[in-house]
Amino acid sequence: MSLVSGPGRGGMTAIPAELQLFVDKHVRYIQSLDTRKDELEYWLTEHLRLNGLYWGLTALHLLGHPDALPRQEIIGFVLSCLHGNGGFGAAPGHDAHILYTVSGVQILATLNAFDELEERVKDGRKKIGQYIADLQDPETGTFAGDEWGERDTRFLYGALNALSLMNLLHLVNVDKAVEYVQSCANFDGAYGTRPGAESHAGQVFTCVGALTIAGRLDLVDQDKLGAWLSERQLKNGGLNGRPEKKEDVCYSWWVMSSLAMLNKLHWIDGKKLTSFILQCQDPEGGGLADRPGDMVDVFHTVFGLAGLSLLKYPGLAEVDPV
Amino acid sequence: MASHGVARVSGTNPAIRSEELRQKELEQIAAYNNLVDLVNFKVADRQYTVEVLDLTTRLLNENPEYYTIWNHRRRILLDLLLIPSSDDRPSTTLYRRGEELIHDDLQLTFALLRKFPKCYWIWNHRIWILQKGELSFNSASARKLWLGELQLVGKMLHLDSRNFHAWTYRRFVVAQLERMQASVTDTSLESVHSTQSLTESEFAYTTKMIKTNLSNFSAWHNRSKLIPMLLDERSADSAARRELLGDELALICTAINTDPFDQSIWFYHQFLMSTLSPKCASQNMIVRDLSNQDRQRYYAHEMEYIQDILEDETECKWIYEALLHCASCYLEIEGSTQAFTVLDMRGWLRELKRLDPLRRGRWDDLGRSLDIS
Ligand SMILES: [Zn+2]
Repeated sequence: MSLVSGPGRGGMTAIPAELQLFVDKHVRYIQSLDTRKDELEYWLTEHLRLNGLYWGLTALHLLGHPDALPRQEIIGFVLSCLHGNGGFGAAPGHDAHILYTVSGVQILATLNAFDELEERVKDGRKKIGQYIADLQDPETGTFAGDEWGERDTRFLYGALNALSLMNLLHLVNVDKAVEYVQSCANFDGAYGTRPGAESHAGQVFTCVGALTIAGRLDLVDQDKLGAWLSERQLKNGGLNGRPEKKEDVCYSWWVMSSLAMLNKLHWIDGKKLTSFILQCQDPEGGGLADRPGDMVDVFHTVFGLAGLSLLKYPGLAEVDPV
Repeated sequence: MASHGVARVSGTNPAIRSEELRQKELEQIAAYNNLVDLVNFKVADRQYTVEVLDLTTRLLNENPEYYTIWNHRRRILLDLLLIPSSDDRPSTTLYRRGEELIHDDLQLTFALLRKFPKCYWIWNHRIWILQKGELSFNSASARKLWLGELQLVGKMLHLDSRNFHAWTYRRFVVAQLERMQASVTDTSLESVHSTQSLTESEFAYTTKMIKTNLSNFSAWHNRSKLIPMLLDERSADSAARRELLGDELALICTAINTDPFDQSIWFYHQFLMSTLSPKCASQNMIVRDLSNQDRQRYYAHEMEYIQDILEDETECKWIYEALLHCASCYLEIEGSTQAFTVLDMRGWLRELKRLDPLRRGRWDDLGRSLDIS
């Protein structure tokens, strides 16, 4: 997920109260996230700090307030998570892992900060690229998360995404990676975490995203997958991640971006989804939750907003589905 | 930071905590951060001791998502496991034997998985410690170790029959057991086909799970993956393959009759239909020598009983979708038919649009692609 450059789409027009997006509340909610050091939860979620920063930053860009967080401080923090081996940890002192390395690269890309990276870390881009490339399993084409070896299509997508943001895709064997993604396809046209695993909307996003980056969408059974994705929408307008599961705002992103990559956004009811996402807002404190009335968090906030952006909600910046 | 299903209560707003609660939370934070600093310091200092291992246990119990601490734990264990296991010093707070260390981590991860069944790091660590355990045990004990895992994952799936971590873990454990059995029997030069595979029992397990809950798509999915292996291992001939296909179609027919509104069931039906197609890869076909006449018979039979259900369930969109799907498969094989008319197809499409307005755009596209709009 990254932002399409250029200005957002126009200003607010007259919108009925129940379809109102509480832009200012959300901006303030995101700004407040790093001030909550007197809450235990803040410390218990340190292992998500870098992802959280990326989610918050992206949400602010979508909301049209890209400068609501201080750019230099962010870059400083991101680089303080970078290890000598080119991998990023979740926060200073946390071990390097591909999940955080991808977030680190995404933040630097969003802030256009690769030059600053090179100034402060000699051959920074190359080192990061090499860290990611070394995680590819040359036999199967898939990627490990770190030196301990867990494998998952989430890592494969993250690797291709980060490398393509740095123009370093040539460091890995893209064809092998594509082959691996295809081995995760199921009869329903959707994808799982690894060969044999059940189809899951999050994994569909990572696999279709990887294939899009590799320029191999021709390998997707687009009608079948589109049908499976469209069946994620439930009567209340929300989307679930697998058959017969509950709706959740984060799937607004996983499902919708996949449909967007297949040019099938019109296969679900956008109006109903828009209103479901908007109901998940906390109208007082800002932020979005997984379902109406639940606790908000920055993860659901950004994925809800990104979903709204794909739904062309007025005033939001445009998001790139990959 | 990514919370699911936690109700928003305005009283939990930190701004309106009582001063007493605030103080208490500040103390908790200080204690937690002290523990974090202590563990990080001692590991950086390479104090790979049982004492530091126990500190990581405490910390992971408080925060199992802290992946770096799991890494620290493995660093410590790698060091501690180097001490020869023949050593028979009594276990103390300063010393533990390899088996005990492994046992402790199995206990720890089991307790944590019960509380946090969707935490990737716990599942990962459990696999890691089992692989270490396998190396230090003889083959019989190692096999027992993995068999225990099959029981554990059975319990996890009993608690949540859709947990995809648990299903993934189940397939992994089965693969480990099959690998071990293969290496045991390799030396005996026998044909070991029937004994080394768990495919039959895993297939039976999906049957059990489906019968408990028809809408368990995870079980239906696993079944779809097991069938090709099952047929291979049985060295099934054409008649046996046809019989299995017949059994599966009968099973799904009963399921459809029980709850035609459940999408898990219809996706499995779609799977069975996909194996009939001439476009299906031969390793995924259930019956490999289908003639086009056979195919048409199957499609016509499906359409017949699905149409029967229509008499009681006129408001179920899945029925119309399945009818259209079967019809289009039929027409792919032969351009014309007596079994149904274009008018029928238009009618089904109209019903789909009426009953399923959420996916209106998809039905419009379908009408165009079938040339019936
Ligand atoms: Zn969610």
